[in-house]
Amino acid sequence: MRIKHYEDMNLQELDVMREISSIGTSHAATALSQLLQKEIRISIPTVSILGYNEALSRIGNAEEIVAATLVKMDQDVEGLMLFLFDMNFASTVLKTLLGQEYTCFEEMDHLAYSALEEVGNIIICSYINAFSKLVDVDISLSVPSSTVNMLGGILTVPIAEYGYETDKLMYFNADFVMDGNKLSDWLLMLPDIKSLNAILGKLGV
Amino acid sequence: MEKELKVGIGDMKLTRGEGRIITYALGSCIGITFYDPAIKLGALLHIMLPERQSPTDTSLFKYADTGIQETLRKLRAFGMMKSRTIVKIAGGAKMFAIKGNASFGNIGERNTARVKQILRAEGLRLMAEDTGGSYARTMVLEVGTGKVIIKTFGKPEKCL
Repeated sequence: MRIKHYEDMNLQELDVMREISSIGTSHAATALSQLLQKEIRISIPTVSILGYNEALSRIGNAEEIVAATLVKMDQDVEGLMLFLFDMNFASTVLKTLLGQEYTCFEEMDHLAYSALEEVGNIIICSYINAFSKLVDVDISLSVPSSTVNMLGGILTVPIAEYGYETDKLMYFNADFVMDGNKLSDWLLMLPDIKSLNAILGKLGV
Repeated sequence: MEKELKVGIGDMKLTRGEGRIITYALGSCIGITFYDPAIKLGALLHIMLPERQSPTDTSLFKYADTGIQETLRKLRAFGMMKSRTIVKIAGGAKMFAIKGNASFGNIGERNTARVKQILRAEGLRLMAEDTGGSYARTMVLEVGTGKVIIKTFGKPEKCL
């Protein structure tokens, strides 16, 4: 295996990941747009590979409450996908989807939670669909699992899962613009190191 | 203002006399407080994984085994006595549960078991714990009083 840590990737390989994320993100945005029946514009996604503490401070703060949907990847690519909703994203989506306004996560009921889980699942699945077609791999996804909790606790999940392999997180960030409202789309894609090598190998980088 | 020390992931801080030591949002990680009331010496350790696997890995506080050892070594240098020391732990949650994959996210449970086993082997008194569940916790140790406070989302503050 050529790459032993996420941070070993060179500029060209990172560029490939950015391209993948760009295609994935646009598919995810299209899916979200169809679901909500709204026009969504996206900015060019950025790829970052950061340690836990830096990633945390970039996304928010440790005690901030966010919703997250997690899906496990298996088969040709093994790893985790994690989609994060901040309150702004969550309330905009729920307003359109359920016609109800929520100002904080405490107000949300089961219906709101399960709607968010479904949106997270749709975004992740359309992302993976685009990704697996592009790279020509088969990926099977687990049933989604969601939580609403402190950002710090959620971000430790992938770190603890792959703690012996890497202590870095790889995440993609883009802005979705809907009705003039800027929503931050945080998606963490964490293939294990073996799969990452396989992906890059398959793409001939 | 009162002194406030923040403990990051895989890190440890200790202080004496007064002040607070905080670690934010423990998920599957475990926060371990050590407190010797006679000399008001307190430490908070934040571990992430049960065991160090490579002897060349220098991040000792990341792992339960090397983290606890190293913390005890430092505390002893400050005059801590094991017989007086009170230990409390929090964390070890399972943040996500995946249907049909029971082993996923078990790391919290494994961390808790390993920490307890090491504490027993070291002959330390585990006075209180708030572990398991599916939510993150913020842990605060007040060094003046030895009080440990746990904050969680959507629940009242708890005192261990």
